[in-house]
Amino acid sequence: MSAWGFVFLAYGIVWFALLIYLGNLKRRFRKVERELSSLRSSGGLKKNA
Amino acid sequence: MELLKQTLWVLWKDLLLELRRRESILAMFFFGTLLLFVFHFAFEIPAEKAAEMAPGLLWLAFLFTGTLGLTQLFQAERENHCLDALLLSPMDRASLYLAKVFFNLFLMLLIELVVFPLFWVLFNLAFWNLLPSLFLVAFLGTIGFCVLGTLFSAVTLKARARELLLPLILFPLMIPVILATVRGMEIILRTGKFTEAFSWLRLLIGFDVIFFTVGFLIFEWVIEA
Amino acid sequence: MAGTMQKRGRGRRVTGILALAFILVGLYFALIEAPPDAYQGDVQRIMYVHIPSILTAYLSFFIVFIGSCLFLWKREKRDDILARSAAEIGVLFTSLTIIEGSIWGKPTWGVWWTWDARLTLTAILLLIFVGYLMLRSLIEDENRGAVCSAVVGVIGFLDIPLIHMSVYWWRTLHQPPSILRPDKLPWENVHPSMLIALAVNFAAFILLYFYLLSLRFRVGEMEEEVKTLKLYGGAS
Repeated sequence: MSAWGFVFLAYGIVWFALLIYLGNLKRRFRKVERELSSLRSSGGLKKNA
Repeated sequence: MELLKQTLWVLWKDLLLELRRRESILAMFFFGTLLLFVFHFAFEIPAEKAAEMAPGLLWLAFLFTGTLGLTQLFQAERENHCLDALLLSPMDRASLYLAKVFFNLFLMLLIELVVFPLFWVLFNLAFWNLLPSLFLVAFLGTIGFCVLGTLFSAVTLKARARELLLPLILFPLMIPVILATVRGMEIILRTGKFTEAFSWLRLLIGFDVIFFTVGFLIFEWVIEA
Repeated sequence: MAGTMQKRGRGRRVTGILALAFILVGLYFALIEAPPDAYQGDVQRIMYVHIPSILTAYLSFFIVFIGSCLFLWKREKRDDILARSAAEIGVLFTSLTIIEGSIWGKPTWGVWWTWDARLTLTAILLLIFVGYLMLRSLIEDENRGAVCSAVVGVIGFLDIPLIHMSVYWWRTLHQPPSILRPDKLPWENVHPSMLIALAVNFAAFILLYFYLLSLRFRVGEMEEEVKTLKLYGGAS
């Protein structure tokens, strides 16, 4: 594999992994937000976070 | 001092229990010896290489044997809510830590005293005169092992897969001790003197002092969790 | 309270956008503007992600340490969430560091792995992080898990200098004859755009790290709140 091949492999893995993790976090964020708002509205809480 | 008295009390209790039932010491001893046998089958050790490989193999055997002892360390306290009783008493938590460290140290030293010469015999090594110096290095390393090991034995006390988790957490943190002990012993076997090994020994002593202090201070939080 | 959350959310978004900007500029400098290294050629470009990664990994470990200390001292849930988040992201960056180092190593030294000081230390760091997270997941009681992993966080950090010393001594006294000295970066005649590339990528990683950390922290906080709400059914 040429030098650039190694470079793209490394960069590719790094940014791919970071993107996957970011996507995962965002998904978790949305899920928790939904859960939180449903719990709050069903519990009838008037408190803000 | 109150602390010392309490430590000696708990230590005396553990020693007495061990003397009567001999569970841990026998298991550890046989396990250690068994490891030596397995090493002999697993590794072809030519005579010239023996000095190089002996420290590593010995210390590996002690590590695994010691871990066995660590998982047993708080066994007596787990039965019959003993630990809760101890914690309810006004006993200083640190004395429990000290007692357990000394107890494990005692067990391991006993075993090392036997396994060292055994290893020498089984692997046909020379340098019998160096054994005391080697033992001193191993002693310092064993202190490091007991100091951190006791703390993490308490940390993993109520965890699942405890027997796996304890080495998983302990061994990476033990790397300075492993390196220093093995390299120290190797240097002594190679040169017959301590001089070149001093930096390693200083590292070992530093490790022992630092983590003895940290363990002493932190143990209380761990055992009460 | 709402004001703080909103301010935090805005700060996070700003950090995220800045991170993206720096990442793009950094990529340009790393891959296009900076010249190939005199000795290593283009493979050296991997260093522009490798060095920031390793520094971010150590930064993460430091934050785990701080969080653990604070938690053991004050027992505030917040500090535990911080430590946990930093550990998770730390595992990510440490793994990436090892992968990058390995990929760099293949064309440079001819092997995918070598037990040189830097790689070995990073691998040990990863092991300690993993131990931290495994301990958490294997202890059922929440509070005990937090305390126990905090202990690992504190002791792990205190051990790092000792591990560093012992591994470096070990490697320098036992240098295998044929391998070059891998922990010296052979950078002579450093071209200014190489320095810029490194600086920009470094900033990019730090910004990205804090963006991810702040996001993960927020998620942790909200998950805790969900747990509390479910447990106490509305009384907070």
